[in-house]
Amino acid sequence: MFKPISVAVAAAGLAVFAASAMPAFSQGTLRIGMTAADIPLTTGQPDQGFEGFRFAGYTIYDALVNWDLSKADTIADIRPGLATEWAPVEGDPKRWVFKLRQGVTFHDGSAFDADVVIWNLDKVLNDKSPQFDPKQLAQVRARIPTLVSYRAIDKYTIELTTKVVNSLFPYDMSYVFFSSPTNWEKQAKDWNKVALQPSGTGPFKVDRVVPRERLELSRFADYWDKARVPKLDKVLLFPMPEAATRTAALLAGQVDWIEVPAPDAIPRLKQGGMAIVTNKYPHNWAYQPSMVEGSPWTDIRVRKAANLAIDRAGLKKLLGDMMIESKGAVYPGHPWFGSPSFDIKYDPEAAKKLLAEAGYSATKKPKIKIAISTSGSGQMLPLPMNEYVQENLNAVGFDASFEVMEWNALVTFGFQPVTGDASKKAGTNGINISRATVDPYSAFMRLYHSEYVPPKGANWGLLKDAKLDELIDKAHTSFDRAAQTKALADVHSYIVDQAYWVYIAHDLNPRAMSPKVKGFVQAQSWFQDLTPITMQ
Amino acid sequence: MAIQSPSLDIAGTAPLGAALTPVSRGYWQSVRRRLGRDPVTLICGAVLLLIVTSAVFAPLLGLADPYKTSMIRRLYPLGSPNFLLGTDELGRDMFSRLIYGGRLSLFMGVTPVACALLIGGSLGIAAGFSGGWVNMMIMRIMDVFYAFPSVLLAISLSGAMGAGAENTLLALTLVFIPPICRVSESVTTQVRGFDFVDAARASGAGALTIVRVHVLGNVLGPILVYATSLISVAIILAAGLSFLGLGVKPPEPEWGLMLNTLRQAIYVNPVLAALPGVMIFITSICFNLMSDGLRAAMDVKA
Amino acid sequence: MLLYALRRLIYLVPVAFGVSLLVFALVHLAPGDPISAIVPPDAPQEVVDKLKEYYGFDKPLPVQYLRWLAVTLTGDFGTSIGTGRPVATEVASAFGNTIILAISATTLAFSLAIFLGTAAAYAKTRIVDRLVTLISLVGVSVPHFWLAIVLVIIFSVELGMLPPMGLGPENATGWRLDWPHIQHMILPTIALSVIPLGVMTRTVRATIKDILNAEFVTALQAKGMNDRQILFHVLKNAAPTCLAVMGLQAGNLIGGSILIETVFAWPGTGFLLNSAIFRRDLPILQGTTLVLAFFFMMLNLTVDVIQTMVDPRIKRG
Repeated sequence: MFKPISVAVAAAGLAVFAASAMPAFSQGTLRIGMTAADIPLTTGQPDQGFEGFRFAGYTIYDALVNWDLSKADTIADIRPGLATEWAPVEGDPKRWVFKLRQGVTFHDGSAFDADVVIWNLDKVLNDKSPQFDPKQLAQVRARIPTLVSYRAIDKYTIELTTKVVNSLFPYDMSYVFFSSPTNWEKQAKDWNKVALQPSGTGPFKVDRVVPRERLELSRFADYWDKARVPKLDKVLLFPMPEAATRTAALLAGQVDWIEVPAPDAIPRLKQGGMAIVTNKYPHNWAYQPSMVEGSPWTDIRVRKAANLAIDRAGLKKLLGDMMIESKGAVYPGHPWFGSPSFDIKYDPEAAKKLLAEAGYSATKKPKIKIAISTSGSGQMLPLPMNEYVQENLNAVGFDASFEVMEWNALVTFGFQPVTGDASKKAGTNGINISRATVDPYSAFMRLYHSEYVPPKGANWGLLKDAKLDELIDKAHTSFDRAAQTKALADVHSYIVDQAYWVYIAHDLNPRAMSPKVKGFVQAQSWFQDLTPITMQ
Repeated sequence: MAIQSPSLDIAGTAPLGAALTPVSRGYWQSVRRRLGRDPVTLICGAVLLLIVTSAVFAPLLGLADPYKTSMIRRLYPLGSPNFLLGTDELGRDMFSRLIYGGRLSLFMGVTPVACALLIGGSLGIAAGFSGGWVNMMIMRIMDVFYAFPSVLLAISLSGAMGAGAENTLLALTLVFIPPICRVSESVTTQVRGFDFVDAARASGAGALTIVRVHVLGNVLGPILVYATSLISVAIILAAGLSFLGLGVKPPEPEWGLMLNTLRQAIYVNPVLAALPGVMIFITSICFNLMSDGLRAAMDVKA
Repeated sequence: MLLYALRRLIYLVPVAFGVSLLVFALVHLAPGDPISAIVPPDAPQEVVDKLKEYYGFDKPLPVQYLRWLAVTLTGDFGTSIGTGRPVATEVASAFGNTIILAISATTLAFSLAIFLGTAAAYAKTRIVDRLVTLISLVGVSVPHFWLAIVLVIIFSVELGMLPPMGLGPENATGWRLDWPHIQHMILPTIALSVIPLGVMTRTVRATIKDILNAEFVTALQAKGMNDRQILFHVLKNAAPTCLAVMGLQAGNLIGGSILIETVFAWPGTGFLLNSAIFRRDLPILQGTTLVLAFFFMMLNLTVDVIQTMVDPRIKRG
């Protein structure tokens, strides 16, 4: 199944060489069917979740810190983007100095420098600035929780200050994009006009935005990273929220690439000659339990029982193999996986025993009620998956039920902790929001640290464990790369041993594409690089 | 000829209120006799009766558990051993789910029409019988609802209130009140002009008595005929709402929702994926044919 | 006649007011917070509050209504929360696309219905009549959104004859009358025309049958008119009723194409409405519903007036 990728990697290598040696030549148009119902916001900070970042973020824009999406065999990590290097100030680790890349121009021809960086940070953080855009702020604020101030040191150097010592701060900066101030002036200082004619520094420039119909991108020949000047002439992105529509469009040749094909359509897609491309990536589909007094989840035996009750292999079958069976918050083999002693697997007998030890029986079952959504970015197939898990849990003696809601409603639901009105009213003691575990802050800090209770973070269940807080803080204050990874592995081993969540599945990010698409490397990331692709 | 414009008349079967004649004694016997001689209506009635009773008594039929999932036996084709009509995308028994699905689907079709019949019918009869400003007030309010195409009104209402069976019921009831009200008003207005109503009034009978004794018997027929034609519309509308994710929530079996969730399986097992659609079609066509039969038997002019 | 039309128009004013109130009330019936639709899962409360203030959701309801009505009356429907684009342009472009589809579906349904309905009414054998009745019944009984999916699978995926989605080829913007665009329209038009075909066939058949039984036809025959001349008279007499039903069906198609537009990713008002509902984009939901309702009202009025012109005996209101 992975054959196209290995061929693709070789082709990509050749193509990079070719591109640097030769002037751009026609490599065709790539047409992509997205799952979003509309074109993501194109002004800078995209909406529509990480799919928006994937197609309207890293394509049109750059961050100071970019992602290295060139490899399929290791987890994607950060690399220099609009900043060439960065480091905390010696002796004062809250202050960070970023050296900016010189000679970068926007699609509109204007130059990138420290003033542009400050202008863009004002755009989202300074509500007094004329360019302040609350919509872009909403998309990025939660990604940079520790950034408090910023200033330009010289034309190509800036200093950013964090609230607390945060050795992982560069990861945060990978979510902040830089739009052209000159273009904003040209578009009458109106972000809605900018949305139709945006200008970034990224490898693709925007030709046309037709709301709800398509986004047209084309090669930016003057991209600063010559190795990443797109081979493609054009990329067309279509919003297709219906999975059935996407499948039909690919099979009928209307698009060349679709995101998230439905598992049951995969055999038909393969029969039609389509390649199904998958790879693991930092995604976690789990139940986050309530840890407040009175919740059955406060007993570790109940948490372990739930983890052992789930037949992940059966779930995998439901998804047509498009998942990894969870053994923790990150998948085995991930640098942060560590060496937990509790092995998360399917063992219903052990689960029954644990429940009995915890004092539960057929007449006194642990009542659990999970808030779930009907769909949503990264939620995979929430309804059938949850129905299946419910069946598993009840088989070992749980009394499991759901509070079903729309995706946006569930998201709002998660803005309040379990002690809030919404959860009290629904009587829930668990929530099922799939989480991106891209960087250490989003993987651990915001979800498990006792200070990050909503709305500040996403520790919905009010988990409070001093030892865990200390482990997480240690990871965020260690500046040595190896020590940092080790600290994160310790955090992960600890949360698995405590069975703090019910870990169920990691998505495989399936996408289906026509055999005409060559050179695509599916990185282990929520984001993907479209620049090496060619059309045959 | 007074032409009503029933905007909701998706089925195009509103009695247009022409040539209403007073109901005579023995009318209902003749209706029954005529129905007895109409094989199509009888067959449709029998099919509906079968669907309704099996749905109502589903728990007593010893069917497989319609909620019991199994990943091993997903999407079994029709005629598999133990699974007469195969299994759905979660390995649940299709036969059982189709029977159970009838409960919600029929409920979603009949309840809003029944509620609307009660509310809209009363309002319409009140408006028609009273005339004057009462009529004016009621009918102008109905006009506001009439300014929305029915599907738009149903979708906007349930879209606003959120998904769920209760909201769908509420939305559909609101959709059906105005047309039923309008039809009731028009037939009542005609009956009000009949001589015997004047006679009753002259003899000093109270308004309620007149409505009960003289009006109801004459207007109920046409109103009922119209209402039965709306049931199939309601079933299809409710299925459409579920299909959009605005109606009944999973894992409840309901035909529209089953169509939606089986949509991906259409590539694996097309016949299986089509079954809920077939059920909607059979039920809907039976209601339509029966409504036609009733209309003919009651001699309501179309 | 002009006076009649004017009177009907004035009569629409209070109804229109009621409609605007209903449209406004309806989006506030909803549980939940409109702001939640535009912020990502992890946005902190301060951001949510800031956005709330920015969009004015913190004002009391009557103030929100009056503000909304005031700007709406100037033709400004506000801006979409989800996209920041003006609602008026969003709805306008979507509305055009919906109209195109509705017109082609109505045309298809109406011409077929006239043919089938007349054939059935004139039929000497019961078979033809029965067949036409069956077709019309199937039309109103089949779930059309499901038929749409079946059409896509047969004609797009398996046979590869027609495109399964979209308004037109990828290099064109907006709709144009050319072969590639017509190809994109064929499947949605068929799926959308099923219900009106059923309804109108029934109407045409019943109306013509009625007229054929009327005395004047016998009189015309007695006068020695040939069948073709009589058919002309019959159709002329059937026109007002059929026209009324057609107008209403066209209106219902415009308001009711949401399911078909969703299946075919047709960028019309239904598609817009669907995404607005799921994003809880209040201005778009209000704007679309209001425009559709007003269009439907005007269409009803036009049908009424035309009907009266064709047959002055009918006057309502």
